[in-house]
Amino acid sequence: MNIQEYIESGILEQYALGELTEAQRAEVEHHAAQYPEIQQELDTILEALALYASAHTQTPPSGMRERVLAGWQQAIHQQNANPAPAEAPATPVVRQLVPEPAPARVSWLMAASVALLLLSAAGNFYLYSKWRSTETDLLAMQSEQGRMASTMQAVEKRLDTRTQELAVLRSEQFREVNLAGMPIAPTAKARVLYNPATKAVYVDVRNLPAAPEGKQYQLWALDGGKPVDAGMLAQATAVGDSLQHMKDVASAQAFAMTVEPMGGSENPTMETLTVMGKM
Amino acid sequence: MSVTTSESSAPELEEQLVQRLRARDESAMTLFYDKYSTALYGVILRIVKKEEIAEDVLQESLVKIWHSFASYDATKGRLFTWVLNISRNLAIDKIRSRQYRVSSHTQTLEDSSAMRQAASSSFRPEHIGLEEITRKLNPEQKQIIDLLYFGGFTQSEAAEELNLPLGTVKTRARTALKVLAKLIR
Repeated sequence: MNIQEYIESGILEQYALGELTEAQRAEVEHHAAQYPEIQQELDTILEALALYASAHTQTPPSGMRERVLAGWQQAIHQQNANPAPAEAPATPVVRQLVPEPAPARVSWLMAASVALLLLSAAGNFYLYSKWRSTETDLLAMQSEQGRMASTMQAVEKRLDTRTQELAVLRSEQFREVNLAGMPIAPTAKARVLYNPATKAVYVDVRNLPAAPEGKQYQLWALDGGKPVDAGMLAQATAVGDSLQHMKDVASAQAFAMTVEPMGGSENPTMETLTVMGKM
Repeated sequence: MSVTTSESSAPELEEQLVQRLRARDESAMTLFYDKYSTALYGVILRIVKKEEIAEDVLQESLVKIWHSFASYDATKGRLFTWVLNISRNLAIDKIRSRQYRVSSHTQTLEDSSAMRQAASSSFRPEHIGLEEITRKLNPEQKQIIDLLYFGGFTQSEAAEELNLPLGTVKTRARTALKVLAKLIR
């Protein structure tokens, strides 16, 4: 081995600066032990660095001596009391414990990492399933809420209608015309509410025979003996479910209903005259 | 200045200290602190650049020195060079850790109050000041040594950082160390 070449290679500087792997360090130490020249060169380099280091001496801030020594003492006693060298530090005073022996610490860290990972995975799975079931619940709630809203809307609409009906029934401007059953339906009974001022007409059915398939009741206003179309009765009106706002009628002395084809006729079919009444 | 009086007894003192530390004598650590803390703190601070972190690293160093003291081999070198290595390695580990890199880049050492503080003389056996060293090393040599020793750079990283061939970095480092070696008394 060429000692001078070895020295010149710069490996001793790398050794002194801590750049070498464990195996390379061992090799350098082996050579140094074997060749005094190498040992001497190595010592010189180490001393040169020590000299450089000690030229940068700094006075620590006041109070540091007590803090550091107390922290050190706490750290070593904590470790003595708890021989597992990689036990997680309980106090923030010591952030990094001594890595002796290194493999134990590494494997402990590995084990801890794996345990944490598993724990985290389990936690994630739990939270994920919670989230999924929460999402399902939320969807159910949302559809329920939608259903409630449309029900509410329907109820409000009905209430609106009923309020209008009530207003008509209570209004003193409306004149009530009772329509009595004609010979083809003696028990039939209905009434018309007519407001001569606004020309508004409402029908209120008490009892009407069901209209045959494909037919519906038509209301007529009789003005000077002439029948005037006042609109078709909706199915709900015909069964007496609610008042129906009919076509406006300019003037009338009587009202009547006939059964007509769907959509109504221009002239009443007199054979089907079911109810009639005079004002 | 204690250096002059302790000059002759320094090796004996060190030997005593080593024996007591080997015997797990906790009170020896106080002695150790008083003897070496300013030098170790100076190196650590120079590397980590923040006083709070330097304090943590110094404490970690003491813990590590205490626990791995059995591996100190007096035949391989002085106690000072051994503990210096431990502290420097811990400090470099610190600046290489991710969390440190994230939190740093805020204050350079030259700005910190620590740099304006007068250097202590409680432990300076070589009795050589920075000024004298700076006079002997040329700026290029000092730059290389600072990068390698305090910056935690490997020679290859330093070559990359300075945009120089690796061979040049190695030569400069060797020359700088030779200059320093000549200053050892």
